[in-house]
Amino acid sequence: MAAPGISVLESTPPPAPRRASAVTRAIATVAVAVVSSLFLLFIVAPVAGLVVAGGGRGLSSLSADSELRDSLLLTAVTATIATLIGVVGATPIAYVLARRSFRGRAVLSAVMDLPLVIPHPVAGIALLLVLGRGSPVGGALYAAGLRVASSPVGIVCAMLFVSAPLYVSAARETFARVDARYEWVARTLGDDAWRAFRRVTLPLSARGLVAAGVVMWARAVSEFGAIVILTYNPKVASVLSYDRFTSFGLSEALPVAAVLVLFALIPLAALRALRGGTA
Amino acid sequence: MISLKGVNARAGAFSLTDITFDVPRGAYGVVIGPAGAGKTTLLETISGVVRATSGRIELGGDDLTHAPPEARRIGIVYQHAYLFPHLTVGQNVAYGAADGAMASDVSARFGVDVLGDRAVESLSGGERQLVAIARALARRPEVLLLDEPFSALDPRTRNVARRVLRTIYFERRFTVLQVTHDFAEAGLLGDVAIVLDRGRVVQRGDPEEVFRKPASPYIADFLGAENVFAGVARPIRAEGPDWVAGDAQELIQHAVAFTTGALAFYALGDVVPGPTHAVIRAEEVSLSAEPSMSSLQNQFRGTIQEIVPAGALARVTVDASGTPIVAAVTARSVRELKLQVGGEVVVGFKATAVHLC
Amino acid sequence: MIPVVADTLLLFIAASLARPIQPVLDGFAARTGAVVMRESGASLEHVRKITELHRVPDVLLLADADVIPRLLVPAYTRWYADFARNRMVVAYTSRSRHASEITAANWMDIVRRSDVEVGRCDPNLAPVGYRTLLMFQLAQRYYRRGGLAADLYGHAPARNMRPNAAELAALLAAGELDYIYDYQSVAESNGFHFIPLPDAVNLGDPARAAEYAAVSITVRGGTRGTRATVKGQPILYGLTVPDSAPHRALAEKFLQYLRSPGVVRALRAAHVDMLDRPIVHGTGAPAELRGGGAGN
Repeated sequence: MAAPGISVLESTPPPAPRRASAVTRAIATVAVAVVSSLFLLFIVAPVAGLVVAGGGRGLSSLSADSELRDSLLLTAVTATIATLIGVVGATPIAYVLARRSFRGRAVLSAVMDLPLVIPHPVAGIALLLVLGRGSPVGGALYAAGLRVASSPVGIVCAMLFVSAPLYVSAARETFARVDARYEWVARTLGDDAWRAFRRVTLPLSARGLVAAGVVMWARAVSEFGAIVILTYNPKVASVLSYDRFTSFGLSEALPVAAVLVLFALIPLAALRALRGGTA
Repeated sequence: MISLKGVNARAGAFSLTDITFDVPRGAYGVVIGPAGAGKTTLLETISGVVRATSGRIELGGDDLTHAPPEARRIGIVYQHAYLFPHLTVGQNVAYGAADGAMASDVSARFGVDVLGDRAVESLSGGERQLVAIARALARRPEVLLLDEPFSALDPRTRNVARRVLRTIYFERRFTVLQVTHDFAEAGLLGDVAIVLDRGRVVQRGDPEEVFRKPASPYIADFLGAENVFAGVARPIRAEGPDWVAGDAQELIQHAVAFTTGALAFYALGDVVPGPTHAVIRAEEVSLSAEPSMSSLQNQFRGTIQEIVPAGALARVTVDASGTPIVAAVTARSVRELKLQVGGEVVVGFKATAVHLC
Repeated sequence: MIPVVADTLLLFIAASLARPIQPVLDGFAARTGAVVMRESGASLEHVRKITELHRVPDVLLLADADVIPRLLVPAYTRWYADFARNRMVVAYTSRSRHASEITAANWMDIVRRSDVEVGRCDPNLAPVGYRTLLMFQLAQRYYRRGGLAADLYGHAPARNMRPNAAELAALLAAGELDYIYDYQSVAESNGFHFIPLPDAVNLGDPARAAEYAAVSITVRGGTRGTRATVKGQPILYGLTVPDSAPHRALAEKFLQYLRSPGVVRALRAAHVDMLDRPIVHGTGAPAELRGGGAGN
């Protein structure tokens, strides 16, 4: 019976906190640690094995192996061009998806994700159907002197198609994280929509957009299936490594693969630098 | 001036329906309402960042319903300063200013010119808000929209900000619309009060009028009227209490007897007999040791239930015939009358102080 | 309840055979209830899968029988059998430029025109690739035109190369190329038009082996930096069941089925020029093959 003046609520002690027994907690912690470590090993071991097996030879052969050098250069150039086109073309789409709600937004979003779902050779075939010499668009380009399939243009197209969705979703995320009110305040301070974007949104999202671009670039560099349908020669690094494997076997393919892995460290390092800055 | 006619808008979960009100040129309007009423959405619709789906918005006499925000010559200050994080304080203030001189002048008046080169994240909350207000004013807007700009500030900064703002306001005489929770502030500042609830204007007018004569018990309660009673009203005309000879005829014409519980008192109004509500602001209720022979027609004996000090005032709740009546008296009066819980006191208020709604 | 696991059969198949042989695989699966899996690709791709990845199929069907003795005997198998022939042709579609003009007499001029796109296979990966180059040389001899081989080679540039016969055909079908050098079987099964080449040129007649052997080309060798010389030979498809095939018995049953008259008829109708009797090389081949099927 509660003392007068004190409500029943106040006189009841608070409930004891719910905790699993110490043993259960310990088991759970260990289980999580084990699973995570195995997963980490699963990712790291093949890459490390590759670098150990072929890295030395691969790097040292770079000076003599002009085919490999040319292939790496081609890969870097086409991936960069594809990324630049993607950034310019897809940033407005990402912005609209992040800011405006409109009928059909879900549809546009799904369409932008489609290339991620399509198997890569199928993507290559789809591009061939639309941009190949036998198609209306492709035929017109060809007549104008621009060859798409069997040229570096085809490589850029394939890279752009498969990696643009990654950019769109990362850029969209970046824009969404910039509070729209910053833009609105800028509007009331006299900026039209473009100026507000340029002076406020862009500086605030620049880092995120660059990181998104790096992700896109990395994806473009690693593409194989879509590229090989459109353009076999000249060979990008992924096609070359497969060619070497088929022609000469693992011992020749390993150095190429190892060099590719080391090559891929570049975007990773860039990403780290960008992300580290915001942390 | 701000003039809205039949404006509808929607932003996310908030919507505005049929908003109509005027704030004359150079006047100070206040918007009050519960959370979720759409007050911020209202400001954003006026500023143009939220699109009005129908209706008319006139600012400074021009129909700007479809004009983009940058063409509306308005300034907006949110509760959160929204200072551009990638610019310095000085660059923030000068962002929309026509010239640097204007920006530095306003900065100086708010005392933020010394912060000029600092980065935004190094400022305190109060400093940020001052910069935000300076930034909006640097552009010399014709209409200034404020969304509880002072609520997050400490009292000293709040006073500084209010003072400078009012000084500039009186100098330049732009039109202001301020969302506020502080009713005292609204009463002090405003020329026009707009009460917003669930996206609609439920009352508008002179702040004093709105506070004293809320349009509904709900509004009364929201506005912090402590004495809101449900009861029955009955016009009584001349069967009044002992009207003192010489009272104006209208007092007698509109006399009403209001009964709530065991308590009955007199009010003035044209009401249909039947259930209604009576609202009496605590400031209108006075306490005395003995009934006085003043013009207070309503005087009752009662027992003090509670005394709540609130700064310079105290809120004293008196149980009069089972009905709690709250009086706002100065702390000094509490001491002089030696009021204490359980003591007897006479509580009184004028019939004219009772608002029926 | 113990689930009944069906027997499986894994075949590595030359790309040019993939289409015509599919019905045969389906028929075999239906007959035996086995699950038949096929992997299609260039001959060298298959070889690398076996030698480097240690993935051993039950049956290996390659477009160049010679690859087997060169790269797989004796480590992986001790016998192989030639089972089908093929010929090189110039294939095209009705959409190809100058399709209405091209004949057996003027093909070598049409393909050297500047406004046509001509494709071939990578000689370093696919037999049809190096056979194309050999065919160029035979053409130069036959038509008695100096420099023809180099010219034809120059007009089928690297950018129009593809790693295997099927991909090359796909490009022609898509309208990306006007003319390709490919097998007759591929042209027929894809419904392409084609210009038949003289037997002295098309590498299709086993009786002319000596003639064909007069030309040779060098391609990339088995290890990097080396070159290998390949001499002209009649085009013969070869098959084998590797020593360590997981389902040997089922594989031999498949070979029997392959040699059955109905299947041979069906394959010939699908433009695979099956030999009347397979030519067996080496030791250890299954009895059915050595005895020869009931050929006709």
